[in-house]
Amino acid sequence: MRVREYNSPQRMTSPNRLLAWSIALLLSIPSALALNSWEAPSADLARQIAALTGPGTITLVVTNRSSIASDDVAVIRRALERELRSAGVIVRPKNTDSDVRVTLSQNMQGWLWVAEVQEGSETRVAMLTVSGATASGAVSPGPAITLRANLLYAQNDPILDVAVLGTGNEQHMIVLDPAHIRAYMSTGGSWQLAQSYDIPRSQPLPRDLRGRIVPANDHLFDAYLPGIACTATRTGEGWTMMVACSDSDDPWPIGSQKALYNSTRNFFTGVVVPGFGPKLPPFYSAAELVRTGGTAFLFADVNGAVHILESGSHKLMIGARDWGSDIAAVRSGCGSGAQVLASAAGSPATDSLRAYEISGHEAITASAPLNFDGAITAIWTSSDKTSATVVVEKPQESGYEAYSVTVACSH
Amino acid sequence: MKLTVLRWLVVISLLFGSALAAARTRPRYGGTLHVETRTDPLKSPDGIARKLLFDTLTQVTDRGEVMPALAVSWETQSANHRWQFHLRSAVHFHDGSPLTAEAVVQSLSVACKHCAWHVRAAGDSVIVTSDTPMPELPAELARSVYAITRQDDNGNPSGTGPFRFIANSNGILFLSANDDSWQGRPFVDAIEVYGNRPVRDQWLDFSVGKTDLVEVPPELLRQAQQDRMPLAIAARPSDLLAVSVSAEQIGDEHLRESIALALDRAALFNVIFQKQGEVTASLLPNALSGYSFLFPAAANLSRSRELRGAQSIPLHLSVDSSSAVLQLVAERLALNLRDAGWNVRVVSQAANPNAELPLRLVHVEAADAASALQETLDDFGAPAHDEGPDPVVLYRTESSFLQSHTVIPLLYLPRAYGVSGRVQNLVLAPDGTPLLANVSLEDAK
Repeated sequence: MRVREYNSPQRMTSPNRLLAWSIALLLSIPSALALNSWEAPSADLARQIAALTGPGTITLVVTNRSSIASDDVAVIRRALERELRSAGVIVRPKNTDSDVRVTLSQNMQGWLWVAEVQEGSETRVAMLTVSGATASGAVSPGPAITLRANLLYAQNDPILDVAVLGTGNEQHMIVLDPAHIRAYMSTGGSWQLAQSYDIPRSQPLPRDLRGRIVPANDHLFDAYLPGIACTATRTGEGWTMMVACSDSDDPWPIGSQKALYNSTRNFFTGVVVPGFGPKLPPFYSAAELVRTGGTAFLFADVNGAVHILESGSHKLMIGARDWGSDIAAVRSGCGSGAQVLASAAGSPATDSLRAYEISGHEAITASAPLNFDGAITAIWTSSDKTSATVVVEKPQESGYEAYSVTVACSH
Repeated sequence: MKLTVLRWLVVISLLFGSALAAARTRPRYGGTLHVETRTDPLKSPDGIARKLLFDTLTQVTDRGEVMPALAVSWETQSANHRWQFHLRSAVHFHDGSPLTAEAVVQSLSVACKHCAWHVRAAGDSVIVTSDTPMPELPAELARSVYAITRQDDNGNPSGTGPFRFIANSNGILFLSANDDSWQGRPFVDAIEVYGNRPVRDQWLDFSVGKTDLVEVPPELLRQAQQDRMPLAIAARPSDLLAVSVSAEQIGDEHLRESIALALDRAALFNVIFQKQGEVTASLLPNALSGYSFLFPAAANLSRSRELRGAQSIPLHLSVDSSSAVLQLVAERLALNLRDAGWNVRVVSQAANPNAELPLRLVHVEAADAASALQETLDDFGAPAHDEGPDPVVLYRTESSFLQSHTVIPLLYLPRAYGVSGRVQNLVLAPDGTPLLANVSLEDAK
């Protein structure tokens, strides 16, 4: 009996992938790396062609109908000729046994290389599906400070939040998605799944789903989803995690405050504990910014306005009109010492993150935008407040990526 | 034809971006979305309301991956002759009745009266069996024709989708958000779909802000771009324009080939459709197959005349006379055929259901090449293919079918929509259907 069962595909982060992403975010990928990737498919297609023609002579025409760069086409042609030669098939300009047309095509799934072998009036066809990577996000040069993004994790299922717990060889990464809490262990430079916990739910979750992982002092962490709260504790000597989830309206921590989240929508209700006196309007996100003279609480309300509460006064932020609805605060040591990161308003197809200094109740641009080739779906300040976890949905790749974004001082 | 996929993606991002330039990242709840369509939103096979009211057992991503929907997992046995689909728990129809295996069986049995497979309930799963292998069944079940539907006590449609049926009166279909949708409540509170609305009237309503979403047919796409209408364009063309050739009435394969070689696709593409979509002699768009260029699409008048010989059967090219653009296409094709020496007349499809050459516009919903080929073959009454997704096998199947010249593919045309500035996060399904459950409104309160 053959059993084929659906399993949600996951893209694991390997050391190579992490390295490639880091480079891609800071530099362009050297073309030589890309060119090497054509060797194997060229050899495969050459073998298929040779099987159709047998040893002999052929003409070879290579046509590009895909997004493959023209420089690469020349590399592919050379590789094909070389592999054909080793199979006893010699490419000549004319007077040959067969004519071969190779078309580098593509469809929604990737590249498709097609070889048409013509001998007399008969044409036979060989095809090869070639997998390929897509371009990554890029950083524009920044004026004062620079945002750096390091890929933490990528998977096909939505990612709500990611947290890295522990230090050194004892690091674990917790990934929160709509159905699971998964713990990964750092082994040999890559993350290996150590434990997975299915999150029970009694009600449908909201469509624009959000969730948060908050490391704790007396246990491992808490995780929050709309209407659900989970507590993870460590059991035994090793790093064995025990998770308990239940229906709950417990408020979600935001800095030193806790805010009630609407369990059927995608925003906080405006009820904040201990709070600032009167109830706030419903808001999507908030950031607590420690600066000289006190702590400011910024929040992006559901109507697109950004507010600042500080020392008992409540003002609308100036200079935040082009902010999206997600913000987080990060300590950096640059400039005033802490900045607010805000996603951009605009098209969801591509998105960007930018750092702002807050002067009084005015937001001043402090970095160039950090561009992502997808929509930012979450920004959460990390537990040590020196970075933010940014989740990006990449519709072109049907996947999600979580980054740790830090602020670096420019000199 | 070169860089077709990339070109489409660029077009989407540019135009889509401009349509949503004022959008904020996170969607807001509330408001009523107004939509207008040329067809009946519910009764038409690809009606816009079907994906709002009903769900399917599976869904297919734009990369062709089959994902769970009402079925959470599935497995096959007996060399793809038997499939078992395990149903999602705690899902209810809009009328409150639970989604059960029996309800799924009943729905699929109605949808698939002529299918070669048999479906039965087994606990919380359904089992599909067939005498022939069904390697692509999970992908096929994502098509809206296999949506799980039932009727409530009042005879109204009831599904498990993100919107509930409220009423259908004065040509307007009223839908409201399903708070209990297993995929989460949609963002807008309600959708009103004004069906059977001519494009001219849709655009008029759009220009005065009476509607949020209107259709932009391919022949008007260039004009819409010039008028700077904010647009959303599907990632791939999904409507196949083709001529069927009755093998019963034109039994000689050479005569059918003569007809095929007479037709000038480039003229249709350049003149009538203003270079929108793609010229094709293949059943699948290149974006799905990657190999459509293997089918030569150029006309060859001299060869057409040669194959016709002395034959002069009178031909009738039938067309849906309610469509002005299809009428124009038919007249143009008739000119081509007359140039090749054929005696041809353009007639109304309604009045001449048995014409030798019906001109057809076929919507291809499936998002993967194998299912799309099956869907297209079904549409043209061809036998099923059972071989799976290998592109070489698909090419051979398609090539073998097209060699009979009973179907002459002409163009693949895109679907596009004009989108008002208050609409956020509009995404089109791979076949161009707007996914309205994820849409939110900028000015929602």
